[in-house]
Amino acid sequence: MRMIKALAAIAATIFMAACSDQQAAAPATTTVTPGSVADFRQNVGDRVFFDTDKSNIREDARTTLGRQAEWLKKYPNYQITIEGHCDERGTREYNLALGERRANAARQYLVAQGVPAARLKTISYGKERPDPVGSDEAAWARNRRAVTALQ
Amino acid sequence: MNTRFDMMLPRRHTILGGVALAAGAAAPAHAQLTIDMTRPSFEPVPIAIVDFKGDKVGADIAGVVRNDLQNSGLFRSISPSAFIQQNIDPNAPPRFQDWRSIGAAGVVVGQVAQAGGNIKVDFRLWDVVAGSQATGLSFTSQPNNWRRLAHIIADAIYKRVTGEEGYFDTRVAYVSETGPLSARVKRIAIMDQDGANNRYITDGRTIALTPRFSPTLQEIVYMAYGENNGQPRVYLQSVDSGRRELLGNFPGMSFAPRFSPDGTKVVMSISADGNSDIYEMDVRGRALRRLTNTPAIDTSPCYSNDGTQIVFNSDRGGSQQLYVMSASGGNERRISFGQGRYATPVWSPRGDHIAFTKISGGTFGIGVMRTDGSGERMLASGFLVEGPTWAPNGRVLMFFRQQPNSGGRAGSVTLHQIDITGRFERQVPTPTDASDPAWSPLIPQ
Amino acid sequence: MKQLQFRFLIIIALALPSAAAAQRLDPVHVEDRFNQLQQSITVLTGQIEQLQYRNQQLQQQLEKMQADYEFRLEQLEKGGSRAGTAPAARPRTPAAAHGNADQAYHDAFKKLQDGDYAGAENGFKTFLQRFPQHALAGNAQYWLGETFYARRDYNNAMTAFAEGYKAYKSSPKGPDNLLKLGITLANLGRKPDACAIFARFKQDYPRATDLQKRRIEQERQKDGCS
Repeated sequence: MRMIKALAAIAATIFMAACSDQQAAAPATTTVTPGSVADFRQNVGDRVFFDTDKSNIREDARTTLGRQAEWLKKYPNYQITIEGHCDERGTREYNLALGERRANAARQYLVAQGVPAARLKTISYGKERPDPVGSDEAAWARNRRAVTALQ
Repeated sequence: MNTRFDMMLPRRHTILGGVALAAGAAAPAHAQLTIDMTRPSFEPVPIAIVDFKGDKVGADIAGVVRNDLQNSGLFRSISPSAFIQQNIDPNAPPRFQDWRSIGAAGVVVGQVAQAGGNIKVDFRLWDVVAGSQATGLSFTSQPNNWRRLAHIIADAIYKRVTGEEGYFDTRVAYVSETGPLSARVKRIAIMDQDGANNRYITDGRTIALTPRFSPTLQEIVYMAYGENNGQPRVYLQSVDSGRRELLGNFPGMSFAPRFSPDGTKVVMSISADGNSDIYEMDVRGRALRRLTNTPAIDTSPCYSNDGTQIVFNSDRGGSQQLYVMSASGGNERRISFGQGRYATPVWSPRGDHIAFTKISGGTFGIGVMRTDGSGERMLASGFLVEGPTWAPNGRVLMFFRQQPNSGGRAGSVTLHQIDITGRFERQVPTPTDASDPAWSPLIPQ
Repeated sequence: MKQLQFRFLIIIALALPSAAAAQRLDPVHVEDRFNQLQQSITVLTGQIEQLQYRNQQLQQQLEKMQADYEFRLEQLEKGGSRAGTAPAARPRTPAAAHGNADQAYHDAFKKLQDGDYAGAENGFKTFLQRFPQHALAGNAQYWLGETFYARRDYNNAMTAFAEGYKAYKSSPKGPDNLLKLGITLANLGRKPDACAIFARFKQDYPRATDLQKRRIEQERQKDGCS
């Protein structure tokens, strides 16, 4: 039993190591009204990123989504739409479906963290709304995203 | 009433009696007026199209015919400035020697006559080598239909020479793209196959994508976002009246619609909880039937030409691949096994091939395979090529090409056509950037 | 595969009762575990599809090889001096009159050898339409059946072999045709019919080769014919 536990611990470490080398939307401290949309964007981070053709929540995204969940629970007046997006390296229809899957993965994560499901909607933009605009790996990595938009 | 669809004419097209002329001297080793399209290579057929007599629209008609045939890649339109015989009588055989000497294999002559508010147009195709009439037809129509008449004439010539059905009397629906990529305006537009008569079907207030024609061309289905960031949903719209109905009235996103060959059904993807499956909807009764049920993305469905099967793409096996199933669901089997991801399958109207987009090693390609997945052949490739659509004769494809974006600026997006053997790629002119082409069937006559 | 084992390890880890009772209740971890399982299934689905495909390819190759091998043995038993590739076994016909026909037959056979069964099917059908009386028509009818059989389309194969038996009973391919008709019927689960067909063999083809006779006997035993 002890050996299995040890194995599990090792496996978990490897798993985290494999997933933690991606960029996280680092929180920055600026003077914005706490609880405002600007506060959410700047101090929490409104978007998380995905690997190519994937929709699983990466380790860096977990941190961001965890912060989002805390903030959203603190400010319960906002309704939330999670937008799923893709890079341009896929076909249009498939990317609509993939964007939906990403938005839903982020939504599930927030719900699991205690944000009421009724507050969370999703929408997919596929590859229709690139941000930033660019045709290199850096731009594509930023485009494979789920953006938490507040209303 | 939109007159563009109100064609009274070709129902009554009558074939002129063939003028039986005995073949003259033994045919010289000249270009033949036939093409065997199954041969791997052939010279384009040199053809002379004389301005039609009788009305000034006659020159315009000849111009459209020249353009259609030249664009097919199978013909070389000889410049009228090279013609020797002038003032040709449209009802009598031309002086074949004059046409042989400029290398023409065929000569097209015709005339336009007023007929009680309509125009009557007739033409003959003369086989210069054989020294006889190859075909001849007569049409009556409203004067503003002259472009369609020209396309119908080009189709008749194409058919006579290649043995294949023509595809010039057709339309193309596509997505017109304008503005910066971050706030791109995407509207559905319809134009004639040669780029004429462009008009917009949606107003551009929300993004509209993936238009597809009904078999009668009277309706299109497409996907559009709702107002104020509303869910993308599938709409059915009458082309003439512009009246639009929501087909995909479900809580989740509906997308990737396509008509069945008989027009009674629309197949589409509907997503729920982030998962997309394929459904069939009865257009009249709106009854919905689920066709796939997997935790994977199942999308881009397309009926076989006989309506009995559906090809689609799915990532149930870890990457996007093509699958075929029965049109009523079930018996799903994977058909693509090459290197890369396969998407946007479209079944040929002839039933012999499936065209697709393939993403492999960082580049995109347009290819065709047999319907069992064998015999894969790539026709075009590039940074981003996507979304093939078949001409009704199953010999020509259209797709779109996107150039890389740079410096925050959008690369151009353009429509292209290519023949099924990968020859004669050519850009199809559009007033704006354009994507998602959908080629119509032949316009019902 | 390594990846799979790794995932499996994670799942075990998450499932251990003492490892993480608290974790188990955590919805994030339940969600994770669900996603990982789903991903594993996807990977397995892809692997199964690939294996099925390879299996099918191998089976087709095998059947092609078997046909070729049976043909060669048959030629040897006949003491044929023209043993070579399968289609060379064509009976002599006035070449000039049948230049087109020979070519059409050869093209269709080439497609069959290349595994282009749909193409071969079309080729043989066209050949039979154009040259129903040709000396190779019986062969074409037999190979038409084989194009379906190779695709495991037993219904069409049965029709083609039955047609061959009816129309080209005395063709050089007659015995093979009858044998294959019986095998196809057995594949369709119609064993009594298959047995009835095998029973006709001795009477219809008393001069069949030993190999053919042995094959019939084998099939009869396999299908439990009395």
